[in-house]
Amino acid sequence: MPCAESLRIHAYFDKEMDAMGAVDIERHLAGCEACRALLQELEQSREALRHGLTNFRAPAELCALIASTIEQEETAQVRKSPRATRPALSFWLGAFSGMVATAVAAFMLFLQPFNNAVVDEVLTAHVQSLMTSHLIDVESTDKHTVKPWFAGRINISPVVADFESQGYKLIGGRVDDLDRHRSAVVVYQHGKHIINVFSWADDHHSMNHEITRRGYHMIFWNEGDIEYCAVSDTAWNELRTLTVLMQEVSRLAGEFK
Amino acid sequence: MSIFDRPKGDKTQRFEAQILPHLDAAYRFARWLSQSPSDADDIVQETMLRAFRALDSLKGDDAKVWLLTIVRNCHRSAFSQQLRRASVSLPDEATDQEEFTIAATDTPEAQAIAADTGRALDRLMAALPEEYREVLILRELEDMSYRDIATMMNTPIGTVMSRLARARLALREQWQDRYAGDAHALR
Repeated sequence: MPCAESLRIHAYFDKEMDAMGAVDIERHLAGCEACRALLQELEQSREALRHGLTNFRAPAELCALIASTIEQEETAQVRKSPRATRPALSFWLGAFSGMVATAVAAFMLFLQPFNNAVVDEVLTAHVQSLMTSHLIDVESTDKHTVKPWFAGRINISPVVADFESQGYKLIGGRVDDLDRHRSAVVVYQHGKHIINVFSWADDHHSMNHEITRRGYHMIFWNEGDIEYCAVSDTAWNELRTLTVLMQEVSRLAGEFK
Repeated sequence: MSIFDRPKGDKTQRFEAQILPHLDAAYRFARWLSQSPSDADDIVQETMLRAFRALDSLKGDDAKVWLLTIVRNCHRSAFSQQLRRASVSLPDEATDQEEFTIAATDTPEAQAIAADTGRALDRLMAALPEEYREVLILRELEDMSYRDIATMMNTPIGTVMSRLARARLALREQWQDRYAGDAHALR
């Protein structure tokens, strides 16, 4: 039978008693075996939970996404004032700055209305590439084959890199004629999923954002005057990871210029 | 805990100083609430965005309590959204095993036992009702006061107190049911 004071033992154990109450409980403890046993149990349980439970920590990928989200958010706030320049702001979380980098993952909550026509044409091109055999014009896992292949076929030189070790295998490239833009498409394989990364010349710097259309996730971002859009039926995080990796490559390329 | 590689705005500085130190706590709480790595990711990302936007409203408050309250709200709104869509998310795979950490102890045997005990505790915790899991994490892991927990849940302190006592009892009973007579019992 638990002692009637057991609830107060919990409070005493949690240091929620005032001095008077504590003295009172200590007096009670001296004469109550059940409560002494309870107090000991409470200590043991807490120890077990603190040391025995898996100590979950925010994964590196999540930290990178948060960093980019905040950067994005601050940029968005600055852009509300007319012609303000984009703050050169980027930060890193945790001790894994080597492996993760700035990413772009805008939130639907603060999206500016985006040009639906672009979304539709990119999505149509993505779906068509999967339905027909026209997925790849240049089949290669070598960025030094794919990147030069675009030269002469399109007026931009997009980021091309293989991320096979991170699970995103470069399998080739092609050129798609969208309604408004001729687009370079870099094709990645992630598990059983195909990810098409479209890119085209665009000076408008539309807002980076994410959208889901007909079950496909799409992430838009830009690097300088190139607009990118990654499309796939993978999970959000898997798609975001690829965009993070690509932006890292762009950033590094920028530093070495 | 973060390093800025370029000049940063005032707000981001505040965010870094006040919010980021609690990122792991936020993740841990989200993870235990949602019981899913991918949901925890979504919840924490949403939480951080909301926290950044609402940073000005964080005055003298305890930043950790404030942040965990947002985590809880995000979890609840995500959960109710799921219900509304009447869709069931697929359980995350058991590959979480990799994430189990082994307590630093002397011998391989002791390590194995510690790891087993940890996993068993994880399972017991996961099997508890959410309202119990929640108070246990906040009190035992995050060391939050009754008052803070009560504020977060918008309930009287007395409710927190009795719920916590019931949660502790439930955990203990579960443990004893499953591991009665086991040498590595909670004792």
